[in-house]
Amino acid sequence: MATLTATAEKTSPPGIRANPTARKLAALALVAAVLVPLAAARWSSGTWPGALTVDVSGPLGRTSDWIIDNRDSHPLFLHFLGHVSNAVVISVRAVYLALLAVGWAGVTGVCALVAWRVAGVRLALGTAGAFLACGLLGMWVPTMQTLALMVVAVAVSVLVGMVLGLAAGLSGRMDRILRPVLDTMQVLPAFAYLLPVVLVFGIGVPAAVLATVVYAAPPMARLTALGLRGADKEVLEAVESLGTTARQRLLTARLPLARRELLLGLNQTIMMALSMAVIASVIGAGGLGDRVYQALASVDVGAALAAGVPIVLLAVVLDRVTGAAGARLGQEPAPHARALWAAALAAAAAVAVAGRLTDRLEWPDGWVVGIAEPVNRAVGWMTDHLYSGVPVVGGTADWAGRFTTWVLDPLRDGLQWLPWWSVLLVVAGLAWVIGTWRTALTATSAMAAIGVLGVWKPSLDTLSQVLAAVAVTLLVGFATGVAAARSDRVERLLRPVLDVFQTMPQFVYLIPVVALFGVGRAPAVAAAVVYALPAVVRITTQGLRQVDPAALEAARSLGATSGQQLRQVQLPLARPALLLAVNQGVVLVLAVVIIGGLVGGGALGYDVVFGLAQGDLATGLVAGAAIVCLGLMLDRVTQPTERRARKGA
Amino acid sequence: MTTTATPATGTPVFAVDGLWKVFGPKADRVPGDPALAALDPAELRSRTGCTAAVRDVGFDVRKGEVFVVMGLSGSGKSTLVRCLTRLIEPTAGTIAIDGEDVRAMDGARLRALRRHRAAMVFQHFGLLPHRTVLDNVAYGLEIQGMGRAERREKAAEVVAKVGLEGMEQRRPAQLSGGQRQRVGLARALAVDPEVLLFDEPFSALDPLIRRDMQEEVVRLHREEGRTMVFITHDLQEALKLGDRIALMRDGRVVQLGTPEEIVGSPADDYVRAFVRDVPREQVLTVRTAMRPAATSEEAATGPGVRPDATVSEAIEAVSRAGTSVRVLDDGRCVGVVDAAALLNVVAGEVATGVGSHADAAAGSRAAGAARMGAAAPAERREPDPAPATTSEEPV
Amino acid sequence: MRIRTIPAVAAGSALALLALTGCGAADMTRQASPFANAQGARTVTLSVQSWVGAQANVAVARYLLEHELGYRVDTVQVDEVPAWDALSQGRVDAILEDWGHPEQERRYVEEKKTIAPGGDLGVTGHIGWYVPTYFAEQHPDVTDWKNLNKYADRFRTPESGGKGQLMDGSPSYVTNDKALVKNLKLDYRVVFAGSEAAQITQIKQFAKEKKPFLTYWYTPQWLFEQVPMTEVKLPPYEEGCDADPAEVACAYPVTPLQKYLNADFAENGGEAAELLRNFRWTTEDQNEVSLMIADRKLSPGEAAKKWVDSHPSVWKKWLP
Repeated sequence: MATLTATAEKTSPPGIRANPTARKLAALALVAAVLVPLAAARWSSGTWPGALTVDVSGPLGRTSDWIIDNRDSHPLFLHFLGHVSNAVVISVRAVYLALLAVGWAGVTGVCALVAWRVAGVRLALGTAGAFLACGLLGMWVPTMQTLALMVVAVAVSVLVGMVLGLAAGLSGRMDRILRPVLDTMQVLPAFAYLLPVVLVFGIGVPAAVLATVVYAAPPMARLTALGLRGADKEVLEAVESLGTTARQRLLTARLPLARRELLLGLNQTIMMALSMAVIASVIGAGGLGDRVYQALASVDVGAALAAGVPIVLLAVVLDRVTGAAGARLGQEPAPHARALWAAALAAAAAVAVAGRLTDRLEWPDGWVVGIAEPVNRAVGWMTDHLYSGVPVVGGTADWAGRFTTWVLDPLRDGLQWLPWWSVLLVVAGLAWVIGTWRTALTATSAMAAIGVLGVWKPSLDTLSQVLAAVAVTLLVGFATGVAAARSDRVERLLRPVLDVFQTMPQFVYLIPVVALFGVGRAPAVAAAVVYALPAVVRITTQGLRQVDPAALEAARSLGATSGQQLRQVQLPLARPALLLAVNQGVVLVLAVVIIGGLVGGGALGYDVVFGLAQGDLATGLVAGAAIVCLGLMLDRVTQPTERRARKGA
Repeated sequence: MTTTATPATGTPVFAVDGLWKVFGPKADRVPGDPALAALDPAELRSRTGCTAAVRDVGFDVRKGEVFVVMGLSGSGKSTLVRCLTRLIEPTAGTIAIDGEDVRAMDGARLRALRRHRAAMVFQHFGLLPHRTVLDNVAYGLEIQGMGRAERREKAAEVVAKVGLEGMEQRRPAQLSGGQRQRVGLARALAVDPEVLLFDEPFSALDPLIRRDMQEEVVRLHREEGRTMVFITHDLQEALKLGDRIALMRDGRVVQLGTPEEIVGSPADDYVRAFVRDVPREQVLTVRTAMRPAATSEEAATGPGVRPDATVSEAIEAVSRAGTSVRVLDDGRCVGVVDAAALLNVVAGEVATGVGSHADAAAGSRAAGAARMGAAAPAERREPDPAPATTSEEPV
Repeated sequence: MRIRTIPAVAAGSALALLALTGCGAADMTRQASPFANAQGARTVTLSVQSWVGAQANVAVARYLLEHELGYRVDTVQVDEVPAWDALSQGRVDAILEDWGHPEQERRYVEEKKTIAPGGDLGVTGHIGWYVPTYFAEQHPDVTDWKNLNKYADRFRTPESGGKGQLMDGSPSYVTNDKALVKNLKLDYRVVFAGSEAAQITQIKQFAKEKKPFLTYWYTPQWLFEQVPMTEVKLPPYEEGCDADPAEVACAYPVTPLQKYLNADFAENGGEAAELLRNFRWTTEDQNEVSLMIADRKLSPGEAAKKWVDSHPSVWKKWLP
């Protein structure tokens, strides 16, 4: 509860803002005064009343059975979904075979040369190094599998995203329809996407690719629409004044003008696709994610690291190269660009052919460095020495235990003890204070839907973990952000760390926390905190640094101490950024708390894992829907009225 | 609002009549309803929720002239120029280009108009940032489907004409504001349009660069004689470039005439207030101040000036000569000016009712060009502060 | 312009998709993994379950397939129930250790005939509730379920709140524990560790501190070598007493573990299918490999190599 009330206070400072807030709360109190006694009289129980739930597991179970029985006979599957599935399998296979045919030297060479042309020498070396590292860790084939899956998923995501983005960018009506949908999809945890596709396509690569597409296409669509809509009006008018047709305008002006957004969209789509491709190993994506998943199943931190490092390297390389390509836009192209491209291609082809001729396509077995054993020894030492019984500070397991007993348990029990209508009321109040009555309505309906689905208790359990994790994240994040904003040196030190942490797929965080904190809700919370922290720190730092220097100068000229400057000028002026940080923190934390079901986090995440594991899609889908509602509610409750463009999740 | 012009030669390039552009819900009903059409902007807005950006405007643009539309921001001048090629769809009225009804054109015809007959230069240049200077200039030709080599060759010529040689391969982001607007100008010129439309092309530029660009336009006009429609909020610019000026306020044309008419005989108090600070001696010609020669000796001797010389030039001549000077039209003396009459002009005393006005108003294109040629150097001098202060009082 | 091009593009891409996938029907239940049979290599895809015993089976089978028969082996970790679906679709070729899924067996083996039985694994499995032997020795009566409530507060942890903790493993395992706790009216809460490895970690931590715990566990399991555990007697198993999952109030059965093959693969899988059908070893063999993987932290490949090198008499019989 601590965070929620803190947020509420922040949004209602004394003065002008207090009035509308007070008005909204008064109106809400009025509505509540009428409805609550009614509700309480009829269904007076702490938890969500059974009379108000709808049991959907029966119909869902029947649907799932029907699909499994008819998957090989019904025309819908034979003539449509079967083709989709086939197309995915064929394209992934084609890319995979192509990658294998080019060989390890060829793939490394081609990727490095592409990186050189679009992003410069340093990144080219980095790319080559990353690929070689994948090979050295003995992960060449899984890396290629993940890469093949990514290539197809990203291509389809970009295509779908661009089509949707074009529709939204060119037509106002489509924009009004699509925007809320895309905005909402952006905040949903990756895990929620897995079940519906599994229901239709079964476990395997097609389901993994389609889940990835559904997860990764929205940023592309949003940014395409943003780019098209944000184009300089006068340029478009100028182009029109020269007598262009609509198609000429689109191809020669609108799309090129949106290049920056398109590249940013590509960058985000790639990052999200990678993140999802890894998580999708739960539904049979194979590749690196599967190795992490297998290692996770046996808490083999060393093996997990060997598969996790290539993921991180891939993520960092892809992010940097597409990012650098975006940053290079608008610069004068280097002289002889075309010749250099040709040379690069020729060199790449030569490397590939050389590999082919010398029959060195597969990564040589002898060139593998086993890091699993030393890492496991280190982890073993850590669990032996840090895990518990450390004098004075206690071991990590003791911390986890104490955190569970003193923070998570009271929070969960408190939430579950609260009468259901009061939870709805709090949600409505927060959402209304921070947004409009529409946001309040959405948030409250989402919360009520959770109750109707009959997963009130596990959802509140998840919520308690989210709240605890958000509280820790904000505490640490704001403190670090303030420190980074006030000291250039701290920021310089932090930046590369944040960069790396921000590009890592959610899955990777699960391994170290299990090693440190054991199993349960505490490690899930820890993973969530680590995952959400970079974004919060970054937004806070930026917000504080972008405070109008004139205002700061004025404060200094009046003799304010640096503490006074921070409290009285920087923090109030950076309020929108801080609110955004809260919103981001909540959304990112939720995503990982759900995945925490894999390490004993329980609640909704466990239900999804259970649904997947037992083929009990009814349980899983209900939990997935509850996650969606929870995400929607949390986003609305923390969403400042104006949403900004942002990175990630 | 008066259209003083009589058609000079043939059909006008643009003939605009009864043009309306109303923004807002059910905008169509406003022009047709006399009661609504008569409302002032604030009332119209509160009654209908509509804003009339252009209200019942009519004018002709003659071949070869520089037609300036001038007004403060919000006066509807930019909307007006966009209506000419239907970048903004007019609500009511007629527009004809060379006698052809623009509003009746279908999509293909309209594109042909935009491609070949009227090209526009924009305030913020409207350049494509991802293309080089050369490709920006060639863009209009590319749209028309011209081959790569041919259009580049043509574009290179135009780039040279606007003085950007050597910058062909740069990107717009690497150019200064003035250079960018030269690219914008070159892009418009490259398609060899019949009319050039300028929408406040220089208001985003620094004063010195603005002056250079104005000279550039004057030069181009002198060399090519292309018809131009020029939108500006800068009175100095309007007076310097315009053969004729339409002064707009709240969507209406409040006065249309030569610079001399606008400055010499403002149609109403609004125009008068507008032109109050103009250095009159640089706009008005000696016709305003001349009187018939008192004696035949006066008509036969002494230095002479052209009838379209500015008062300021005449003052220079008078002060050099020490006596009155003759106004010579083709060697024939049409009158004389003396120091007192000239000073009266400067002081704003002689404003209206000058007999020779009608001639000046009908000023042929040759006269306009000549006057501009004369005015250009005069512009470089700083306006004399003294007349400005005396003209504080309303005339 | 746009109005004309968009349908054209849509129609074109639909046609292209059709052309790509071949016209007519496409049965997605018969699609191999895109990663299978790459570069002309004969590939077998094996399903690995998350427990170590299953990893041991797969490791040895993989080693033999790769080194004796020259196959390339892909492994995919799929949970038990979805693995049946994947096996039916041909996305995996074989499951080497199944603990009994009658419903799936009926659907896929008997009705659809997309899965073929692969014979006994040779290992007999049994699930039960266990307490550490050090605790059972001090309190011998804990090994009867009727006395469990007496010890509930000894088994309390932060995660279980006010009740005793019954630790379960992965949510994917065959388990009736929630129903059992309810139907036997036990004052316990089932806490899922999330994975077997997490469960083992936790058990070892408990054992290190000699704390009492109650856990869902099963044999064969190598962990017994390190942490001796004693089974708690539940009401005896009778045929059909676990028919209704909600009403279960009896112990788990003793299961001869089974292998299953994709029907297509069983028919056309050649030597690989032959070898997998013949694969049959003892509980001790499996435990030996499991112990190497899980406790000595050897990679499954290395563990398999060691076992294969030292037991040629066992596996020679499997070769086709």
